[in-house]
Amino acid sequence: MRRLLENIKIAFQALFLNKLRSLLTMLGIIIGVGSVVAMFSIGAGAQQSVLGSIQDMGSNLIIITPGNPEEENYMGAQLAFGTQQAELTIDDLRAIEREATLITDVAPVIFSSSVASYLNKSTQSTVFASTEDGREIYNMKIDKGNFYSRSDVSNALNVAVIGQTVVKSLFGKTDPIGKIIKLDGKNFKVIGTLEARGTDALGNDQDSSISIPVTTAQDKLYGLDSYNMIMAQSVSEKDIDAASEEIKSILRRHRNIRFGEKEDFMVQNQTQILDMVNTVTGIFTVVIAGIASISLLVGGIGIMNIMLVSVTERTREIGIRKAIGAKNRDILIQFLVESIVLSITGGILGILFAVSVSAILSRFTILVTSITVFPIIIALSFSTVIGLFFGIFPAMRAARLNPIDALRYE
Amino acid sequence: MIKNNKDTVIKTADITKVYRLGNIKVNALRGANLEIRRGEFVAVMGPSGSGKSTLMNIIGCLDIPTSGQYYLNNMDISKLNDSQLAGIRNKEVGFVFQTFNLLSRSNVYGNVELPMIYSAERVRNKKKKILDAIESVGLTAWIKHRSNELSGGEKQRVAIARALVNQPSIILADEPTGNLDSVTGEEIMAIFQKLNSQGKTIILVTHELDIARHTHRIIYLRDGIIHGQEEVKNQISAEEKLRQMPRLEDKLTAN
Repeated sequence: MRRLLENIKIAFQALFLNKLRSLLTMLGIIIGVGSVVAMFSIGAGAQQSVLGSIQDMGSNLIIITPGNPEEENYMGAQLAFGTQQAELTIDDLRAIEREATLITDVAPVIFSSSVASYLNKSTQSTVFASTEDGREIYNMKIDKGNFYSRSDVSNALNVAVIGQTVVKSLFGKTDPIGKIIKLDGKNFKVIGTLEARGTDALGNDQDSSISIPVTTAQDKLYGLDSYNMIMAQSVSEKDIDAASEEIKSILRRHRNIRFGEKEDFMVQNQTQILDMVNTVTGIFTVVIAGIASISLLVGGIGIMNIMLVSVTERTREIGIRKAIGAKNRDILIQFLVESIVLSITGGILGILFAVSVSAILSRFTILVTSITVFPIIIALSFSTVIGLFFGIFPAMRAARLNPIDALRYE
Repeated sequence: MIKNNKDTVIKTADITKVYRLGNIKVNALRGANLEIRRGEFVAVMGPSGSGKSTLMNIIGCLDIPTSGQYYLNNMDISKLNDSQLAGIRNKEVGFVFQTFNLLSRSNVYGNVELPMIYSAERVRNKKKKILDAIESVGLTAWIKHRSNELSGGEKQRVAIARALVNQPSIILADEPTGNLDSVTGEEIMAIFQKLNSQGKTIILVTHELDIARHTHRIIYLRDGIIHGQEEVKNQISAEEKLRQMPRLEDKLTAN
């Protein structure tokens, strides 16, 4: 212990003597560790906000979308909107409403992007068209006024419920209720406003939405017969998989998909979406770990290089220490401690760097970051191992020096 | 037959050392026999190539003989491994080198402390022992100075303090005045004589007869064997010689 402290002191002295060299050597480790911790914090932040916004969408949510990602032209169909072969229509909606036993609500959804204007002001907004049940399923909360009613939907009235960003940009401090806004050139009466929800996982502003009856969207805005998706809510969380299967079989039957054929639609529920998010973040983590280990490897080689130089430079010192009674083991430990101190100091600086970077990111950008203990522990132990691994060869070289030759070294 | 005497601190019996330089065998030592008693002050002299350095390396436990026995303090050193040799060097041998060999970045205290860092057992009263060693060479005022800030004579004093601090059985000084001017060299010899009068065993390697005549006995080495030895009559007293030497201060006050 006493000797270890002595060795740590010697190591710091040696590193301080060559400040610039030590810093440059540590840079590889600083960058490696810093990027691991920073990326982990961004990843963890993204994961948390994705999960948060998925849970915000309402519990027990089941989403049915047209097309199947296992089919070849899925992406093509998605991109060429309106020409996709598989569509979800009111027939599908009715079939689910009629036959499904494990769901409480079901609602169609059309998403679109439109310019909304009021007097001389306009703003880009997300049109979220659904039914009165859609509010419940999507967990939207009314701030002022009302949501549209069943009869508003069946009569396809031009009514709109607007998010807080739309309120702010179109009306400022004026009360928007009862005002007439234009959406793609059509007049809509504002009947309510939604509570603020903030941004979602991808940084989209959820408050820039305008909710209108799905029938109005189909008949008066887009001239569509189909929906972008159908949302349903299972009776309870534990029934969610059973409910998904039930919907799947109803739609298979209803859409005349024969046994063995692939579905032309997709049923996803929250558990699956959460699994998917975790899979994606898992891949993300592996990729980062790969990149980081390359930079740590490069950093480690840098340490080994400098330690070899250091051993040569200090041959005489090694000779003196050995003449005076240092055993091979003492010299080995001295140089090993030095390379570990070098790499751990680099690791700590890297962590400080990452912490400040993620603090800056979450303050000045829309990225959400979350520093967790796990990557810090991993990064620190990794840099210790790097110091040990790349320090052992130079340290052994130092330890094996013959004291007589080392003392004679100029 | 080797007789071990209580007073004998060093005894070598027919030690040889053979080096290989490529395909050539070099017989550096060819059966050296020597005995040094406790409290002696001995000089080893010899021309270069006489095996002087090799003998010193073996006596200093930096190397082991190819054949023959070496007893230090009645312990057989000839067959020890590297680690055991390091332990013996730490405990029994104090080195003083021609080129001082201090750690330039450490201060006086740190340099003198060094042998204690590598001691097998925990040293008691460590600080007092270090301060005593520094005081015995008259460097108490320089304790915080880094060794590369010191003059040659001061550096050699630090080296002597370092050699003393673990209370070794022998002090092995290899040309300790070789890099010093005559006055400073004489001062160093005065320290050695003082230490010897306090009972320290000192072995001095030198090629200067003047320096060797400060000791009790001179051992001559040539071609790897002990060629002869003589007791020094009219031993030079360094103190006295220093008193006779013209000093810079005297010159300055005279003018």
